[in-house]
Amino acid sequence: MIEVKSLTKTYGKKQHIFTALDDVSFTIPDGASVAILGKSGSGKSTLMHAMSGLDRPQVGEVIINGEDILKLKTKEVDKFRATKMSFIFQSFFVQANETCFDNVSLPLEIAGVSHAERKKKVTAALEAVELGDKIKSKAKNLSGGQKQRLAVARAIVNEPEVLFADEPTGNLDSTTGDVIEDLLFGYAKRNGMTLIIVTHDADLAAKCDIEVRIKDGKIESISEPRKKVVKKPMQRRVQ
Amino acid sequence: MRVRDITRRAGRSLKNAKARTLLTSLAIGVGAFTIMLSLAAGTGGREYASDIVSSNTNVRELYVQPKQDNQTGGSSGPREYDDTPTVSFGGGFNFKLLKQADIDTFESLENVTSVTPVYNVTPKYVTREGEKKYQTSMEAFLGTLQQEYLAGNGDDVTGSKVILPDSYRKALGFDSPAAAIGATVDVVISASVTTPGAEDRTFSLEVAGVTAKSDLAALSGQSSLQASNEVVKEMYQYAQQGTPIENAYMAATVLASSEDAVEELKKSINDKGYDAQTAEDLMGFIFQFINVLQGVLIGFGALAVLTSIFGIINTQYISVLERTQQIGLMKALGMRRRDVGRLFKIEAAWIGFLGGAIGSGLAFAVGTAANPWIRDILTLGEKTNLLIFEPWTFAAVIIGLMIVSVGAGILPARKAAKLDPIEALRTE
Repeated sequence: MIEVKSLTKTYGKKQHIFTALDDVSFTIPDGASVAILGKSGSGKSTLMHAMSGLDRPQVGEVIINGEDILKLKTKEVDKFRATKMSFIFQSFFVQANETCFDNVSLPLEIAGVSHAERKKKVTAALEAVELGDKIKSKAKNLSGGQKQRLAVARAIVNEPEVLFADEPTGNLDSTTGDVIEDLLFGYAKRNGMTLIIVTHDADLAAKCDIEVRIKDGKIESISEPRKKVVKKPMQRRVQ
Repeated sequence: MRVRDITRRAGRSLKNAKARTLLTSLAIGVGAFTIMLSLAAGTGGREYASDIVSSNTNVRELYVQPKQDNQTGGSSGPREYDDTPTVSFGGGFNFKLLKQADIDTFESLENVTSVTPVYNVTPKYVTREGEKKYQTSMEAFLGTLQQEYLAGNGDDVTGSKVILPDSYRKALGFDSPAAAIGATVDVVISASVTTPGAEDRTFSLEVAGVTAKSDLAALSGQSSLQASNEVVKEMYQYAQQGTPIENAYMAATVLASSEDAVEELKKSINDKGYDAQTAEDLMGFIFQFINVLQGVLIGFGALAVLTSIFGIINTQYISVLERTQQIGLMKALGMRRRDVGRLFKIEAAWIGFLGGAIGSGLAFAVGTAANPWIRDILTLGEKTNLLIFEPWTFAAVIIGLMIVSVGAGILPARKAAKLDPIEALRTE
């Protein structure tokens, strides 16, 4: 379960003060898919950064599995991100000069996973996004949709508990976008992974269990869960 | 993150920027090249010098002189007389000599094989029947010296045998070195002026060998005639008889029983109040000269390395800027600051390794190719290499440059480590 409690983040000082997040609180049950919906500049990206420990808001708590990640040391937050979280970005951020294998292997290397283990997991992740045949191809030779699938493989390879997706389909046409969405939702459902999607796309948001609407750094509305979120036992994480 | 994985990633990102990596490495390679060649020249030079030393002197030999008084103490009043034989020069400058008692002292020491006084003999002239008279100097023959014989040999220089340098062979009118062997030359010694009515004495000597002008003999007197110790001693005594310095010597050579005993023997002679010098002491200046020269060359190499440091800093800074987004991603994925810093430091180390390997490899190739050429130009001996590459120098240069490069990579690495992932991922 992720609890966000009265998050407040400001930039600047005194009369130039800008409030990016203003007393934001909500709760996400394990395994739910959540859309953080808002226009650009609404503070939705800042919210994501705060929830993933990349940013440090002045006030508030982000409690994941009973632990306030904003109170952890940098080193511990890094470890938390390396082992329990992952990211997908609008502009993919795959390393063009590296092979698909090396791109997907990065989070495992960061987490200190052994070479043999990495090989198994990377192959499985690439097969899950149907890029099994591209394992040795350079990422720059992939199409846009394939690149984002590669990014998905990189995001799921370390079997995270929470996946943050920042406009995952923003740079894709609707057909390839649908493929990515199906991949993400499918994987999240099968593995009981919490999926947090930051978007301004209402159609994408409508596919999520919960919609959190943000405007000017404040929560505008939180929808009731569309269906009961089934908590799955986490046996997949027994390694 | 494991260091091995970081190292692999570092190597990969350098491979992705081949031209830049190569150019930066070349800059540091120039330094490696210069340093490698300096080290090789130093080693070669020292080896060459020690060849010279061993062919001009015997390492078992000690050159012993009396300890001279402090000649500058003019204000301390008149000096007390002692009966040590001395040579007086103008201005109260006295040069003490060794007497027979001193020679006996040396002979009584441990590890001494033989003691030979140094006989300074300057004959009036050398000649042979029907030829002109030439100035010369005489030396006692030492079987331990390496010299090249054009004819005859030095196996049996006893009695009234003499070894002739080739230049004297020509001057004295022998057609070939072989023609001189067995012939007789006359060395004329004048008696001391203090002995009234004494006449010049002629020593007729039989030529036993003719020596070539040696390339290695540049430093010592293989341009003198060499005769057996007895003959030279006789000449010396004849020349000195009746003078106050009869049976006194400028110096003596003490032959130690083994090479290992030389240093100890030197100490015990010095303890007895003499001034003993080993062959190494006498030739030490050559090594000092080579070391200074090598130091200067290494200095130039170090300067090149210093310049390349800025190249590395610049390259790595650009690399950090170029890869802002990649660094941001790695940090977002939980890579620790320390590991991000390491990534860039290891990249710098790779550059240093590459530069060191290229530079020293090139130095080895060029040096090996240049050795025969240098040998010809400087007319060194047949097998002399002036550039000698020792295996340890390759390792030392490469590792040293890797350390320097890591040092240069610290600032860019710190910049990378400090990068804010949010800012970095906003770039696009």
